[in-house]
Amino acid sequence: MDLPGPRWKKGKGGKDFAALAAANPMSTIVAELQAKLRDSEAVATLAARTRDAILEVGKDQAKLLNCASFGTLESAGTEKQWFQLGPEEVFFLCHALKCVAVESENRARVGAPELWDLLASTSEQFPEMYRAYEHLRLKNWVVKSGLQYGAHFVAYRHHPALVHSEFAVIVVPEGKAFGTRCDRMQVWSKLLCVLRASGSVAKTLLVLTISTESSELGSMDCLEQMIVHERTITRWIPRQCREQQGKPRREETNRNEQRQKSCREVSSNEEQEHTCGGVVFSYWGVVLSFTVLSSLLVYKLKF
Amino acid sequence: MAAAAASARDRRRRSRAPAGGAAHAVGIDDGEEQHLNPFLDAAPSASSRVQFRNMASCARWVEETGAAEVVESRGNLWLTTGVTRAGKLYYNIEEIGFLAERGALILLNDKDETIGIDGIYEKLAGGNYGCSWDTFQAYKHLKSLGYIVGRFGVPWTMKHGGTCDTIAPQMNILETDQSLNRVDGVSNDITKLLKKMQIDGISPSFEVYLPNSKFKKSSPGSPCFLLCLLRGKPPSRVELEAVENNFRGIPLKYCHVDNGRVSFLSFDEVTLPSLP
Repeated sequence: MDLPGPRWKKGKGGKDFAALAAANPMSTIVAELQAKLRDSEAVATLAARTRDAILEVGKDQAKLLNCASFGTLESAGTEKQWFQLGPEEVFFLCHALKCVAVESENRARVGAPELWDLLASTSEQFPEMYRAYEHLRLKNWVVKSGLQYGAHFVAYRHHPALVHSEFAVIVVPEGKAFGTRCDRMQVWSKLLCVLRASGSVAKTLLVLTISTESSELGSMDCLEQMIVHERTITRWIPRQCREQQGKPRREETNRNEQRQKSCREVSSNEEQEHTCGGVVFSYWGVVLSFTVLSSLLVYKLKF
Repeated sequence: MAAAAASARDRRRRSRAPAGGAAHAVGIDDGEEQHLNPFLDAAPSASSRVQFRNMASCARWVEETGAAEVVESRGNLWLTTGVTRAGKLYYNIEEIGFLAERGALILLNDKDETIGIDGIYEKLAGGNYGCSWDTFQAYKHLKSLGYIVGRFGVPWTMKHGGTCDTIAPQMNILETDQSLNRVDGVSNDITKLLKKMQIDGISPSFEVYLPNSKFKKSSPGSPCFLLCLLRGKPPSRVELEAVENNFRGIPLKYCHVDNGRVSFLSFDEVTLPSLP
């Protein structure tokens, strides 16, 4: 299947950022970041009870962290800056790029295997989430949290300031080792909810299925056994395709058609919500995507 | 009240909606995320830069209380931040973090040496002074918007001017310094009292008041809502009912922190009208 192309953002003067991105390939940025962090022996401090980490860096590393889109800036002083890293980010920098050392909140060094155990113990889904994150990052996609869109991640072709994200990513574990993890792809209301939320923000839904033959996920060694399969889920609109000859649905400009379509989808969503079971609200992504949808619907119905 | 309590993101979304409506979903676009362009921008935005203003206050960290005693107070921040005990003003760790990030506070150790922002982050990361890193994110978010935020169960002052709408009436009798802190996981008098009132499940972290230039610590009135921080899984009906039972009459809001992004939610029990 042909994947949709990138939607580059525009800079001053109306030119889009495609050229700027081409001149600064993500692989080069990440390699530079890796070198600079290693040279400065950067250390990230884990926060207790949450799975975030705080990384103190100098100006040069800060610029590269920003360009490679790792972490969020917490504050900046004259010489130093402090970034907040999520669990996948800190593990990636520590284990995949091997450029950041990690300390627990009481200043004890934590090696990659111990860090894996720590992060996996506080979140059941960490193994598959990290494997998906790593898979995309190693292909030089920029990966950020997708919770606000009801997805696990959102994937960008380059820095989010230069390009709109193309994919809302859902991670689906497969295999006995993952136990009975309830996942949203097993219930139609959840799947369509995520699809609707991602579609409304012009993203394609990318499903990464993580399969493993091994029987348990106790340690970091299970990473090598996890295989990632990529699949997209897109909605095909027969009516639109008939009129526009198969153009991607993102290019709708007819408001009337949009309103009618949204009315049809609203009613189908409502039907499905009645049939879903008690597990619908087990995950924050589902809760948040439902809130996104409901506020969207309120907005649309006003017109 | 509902509008005031809506998240900042909702407000930005509504204000950005173009007048004529739009073909695709408005507001819930990537555009909602303001991304600085690091390839072009030279320096971090002013909002994240720590600049020491001339009007910076000064406080000394007191390890035993897990808070800082203000030694030099500048500006008006003290009117809605910090608690007063025996005539002295104390800031807790999230207040210190918030003020320090804005360059409004210099923290000193017992030798009067400056504790830099990294030292403050270390205390927050450790989570041993009643506030963990994600709780700090939620605190910061509301404070930045002008809300008045106090730790749940910690009186602003022990002197009460008018009627005090205390949530926990037993608090009045406590006049020791222990009332400064409600440290997660460490029992002190306050937590023992609170445990009688609430189940070990969801509990409020903060009392939140609307922005108010006439706010008085001696009679703060009832908070606009109590904020509960949620981790792990979304709350079940049983957990929600348990916390609601303990705080009848006071609105509850919940927040979830993900990678520094704070989402605020209400889980309101309703009774739909029966229709003709």
